Amino acid sequence: MEFAWAPEHEEFRRKIKAAIDRLLPSDWAEKSQYDTSSEYVSKFSRTFCPALAKEGLLIPHWPKELGGGGLDPYHHWVLGEEMIKVGEPRSYQYMNVNWAGPAIIRFGTDEQKQQHISKIVAGTHIWCQGFSEPSAGSDLAAIRTTAERTPNGYVINGSKIWTSGASLADFCFMLARTGTERYGGISVFLVPMKTPGIDVRIIPCLVGERSVHEVFFTNVEVPESARLGDENDGWKVVRAVMHNERVGMPRYALSMRVLDHAVGLLKKKNRFKDAAVRSYAAKTKAALEAARNLMLNIIDDRMKGKAPTATTSVARYALVTGDRWLLGFLNDFMYEEVMSGKDPLINVGYKRTGSTGIGAGSAEIQLNLIARDMLRLPRE
Amino acid sequence: MDFDLTPDQSALQSAIDQLLARHKDYPTNEAVHYFPGDAVERDLEAGGYYDIAREEGMGASEAALLIGAVAQLPWCAEVAGTALVAAKLLPAPVPRPVVLARGKADGPLRFLTKNATVLVDCGDEVRVIDASKHQVEPLKTFFAYPFGAFVEPPDLSKAPVVPGVTGAALRQWWQLGLVAEIEANARVAVDMSVEYLKNRRQFNRPIGSFQALQHRVSECVVLIDGMRALLRRAAWSGDPADAALAATHAQEPLTRIIYDTQQFHGAMGITLEHPLHLWTYRLRVLQGELGGVTAQAMDAASLIWGD
Repeated sequence: MEFAWAPEHEEFRRKIKAAIDRLLPSDWAEKSQYDTSSEYVSKFSRTFCPALAKEGLLIPHWPKELGGGGLDPYHHWVLGEEMIKVGEPRSYQYMNVNWAGPAIIRFGTDEQKQQHISKIVAGTHIWCQGFSEPSAGSDLAAIRTTAERTPNGYVINGSKIWTSGASLADFCFMLARTGTERYGGISVFLVPMKTPGIDVRIIPCLVGERSVHEVFFTNVEVPESARLGDENDGWKVVRAVMHNERVGMPRYALSMRVLDHAVGLLKKKNRFKDAAVRSYAAKTKAALEAARNLMLNIIDDRMKGKAPTATTSVARYALVTGDRWLLGFLNDFMYEEVMSGKDPLINVGYKRTGSTGIGAGSAEIQLNLIARDMLRLPRE
Repeated sequence: MDFDLTPDQSALQSAIDQLLARHKDYPTNEAVHYFPGDAVERDLEAGGYYDIAREEGMGASEAALLIGAVAQLPWCAEVAGTALVAAKLLPAPVPRPVVLARGKADGPLRFLTKNATVLVDCGDEVRVIDASKHQVEPLKTFFAYPFGAFVEPPDLSKAPVVPGVTGAALRQWWQLGLVAEIEANARVAVDMSVEYLKNRRQFNRPIGSFQALQHRVSECVVLIDGMRALLRRAAWSGDPADAALAATHAQEPLTRIIYDTQQFHGAMGITLEHPLHLWTYRLRVLQGELGGVTAQAMDAASLIWGD
């Protein structure tokens, strides 16, 4: 057991922090409101990510032969921690480098790699994920959006929902039904969002300015070359992508920053002498610290090449628990700040913790996976 | 960073498991509050395990492994006071059991017998009471540890002070020992529950197939894995804030874990016939020891954020 960061990881963190200090404007908090999904942050990401790329910080975890730094999973995780602490200035480009790009590299044709990877590594394009549908949330294989064969490719009809950043995105990494088999009838398509027939509607939401959308596909024509992987073999891609989603983002890093900030504010108001406040703060910190350690343990397993297990779901659910503690703390002791909405950190903490466990794979699915894969409890 | 046990720690874990293997069985026809672990303690003493944290290259992490392994046994043995707390605070071994106390040491004390060494958290300092010089009476409780009390409250002003050791240091290692005990006891209670959920049938199906129960038991696992994560970090770092946080996280969910594991068993474990109570009735004690979760959280808050 060794819980200290290795010197190379510490050095890498320093490098990222220095880049963030240099590249974020002085009014970042005010302008961004730490809202990953805002128009401002999305626009900012199109200059921020190229700047990160120049410093070798956009895809440091990608293999060297693909232009990456060939760095280990801890480097990747440290990058995520530092980015989320400042509201994820990469906007949804974090998805490009975390899973969309790697999926295209793994399953794409040379043509697709040439078309998409160069844009991803340049840091200029935003992707959204077209997975969930009104009839397919946790039960993702229940999707109904269809892609029917035409002489020139496919025509897509259907709709997606909860799509993050859809109104900001250039491309959609989407699933559509190409066959009738539940799992064996799904294909992945890489679709430009400007394709005629795509209609995007923002769903107003507390979590973020453009955090959720509906996307409608009406006779959207795409060439065969838009399909990623073999026809009807999309579930394989989904499984690879979803494993990444289950670990999720190191949200605790932002939550811990928010907690420390809240404590600072309470001290200024002379309210941190109150035993109820102090005790609640420590319980929150403990839950977040547990989540942090469980998540780092997953990264440690990745470092060692261990096959993923349900411990990923344990870590993920611990994070949900930690964020619930923080939400409760903010509700109890930061009421004025939450209601006034004037403090960007309290704002983002309140908003984001309210959705942990809802987005990116529901918390209850994590519990199902623990029950089934770890505890080996019988199916219903 | 490396979350796995070191090769030495893995070897130690195996040796401990081997030593304790013969203590896994217990008389299933006896409905008792607890089984005294004298034989376990004799084996630990004979094998030198109580001095584990005093050995070169070993410390709190290794003591925590030992505490956890013993706490999983049905037999009730004192380990944390001797193998962790005393080993960290006192220059040389003292007569055991080592009992931990706060304030005036005038209440029920876990493991207190006439031969005990009692370490008392007196705030700025730690005092040592040789229980053999006092009259001690065993207390009958419904809980799964032996308890004793001093017939007359000891005069602490006459008890020797441990040089250079503060009450905060005592609390830190006490907290860590508590987490090791809680994590292990809770894990046994949950493991036992999982087996029961698989085997107990109602409505023509194993009750473990009901999602309501699956989710609850899975949440227990998340909480216990979190305890272990914080335990290992705190044992490794020796940082009092880490210990206080770990103890906070360990004591906080116990009402729920105790309730759930007993509820999964359909009320068994509240009574003495089913062995579940051997662990849950320990957890009830550990939940409130050292002031309970609020005291640990207050310690953590002071250490992390100051006043």
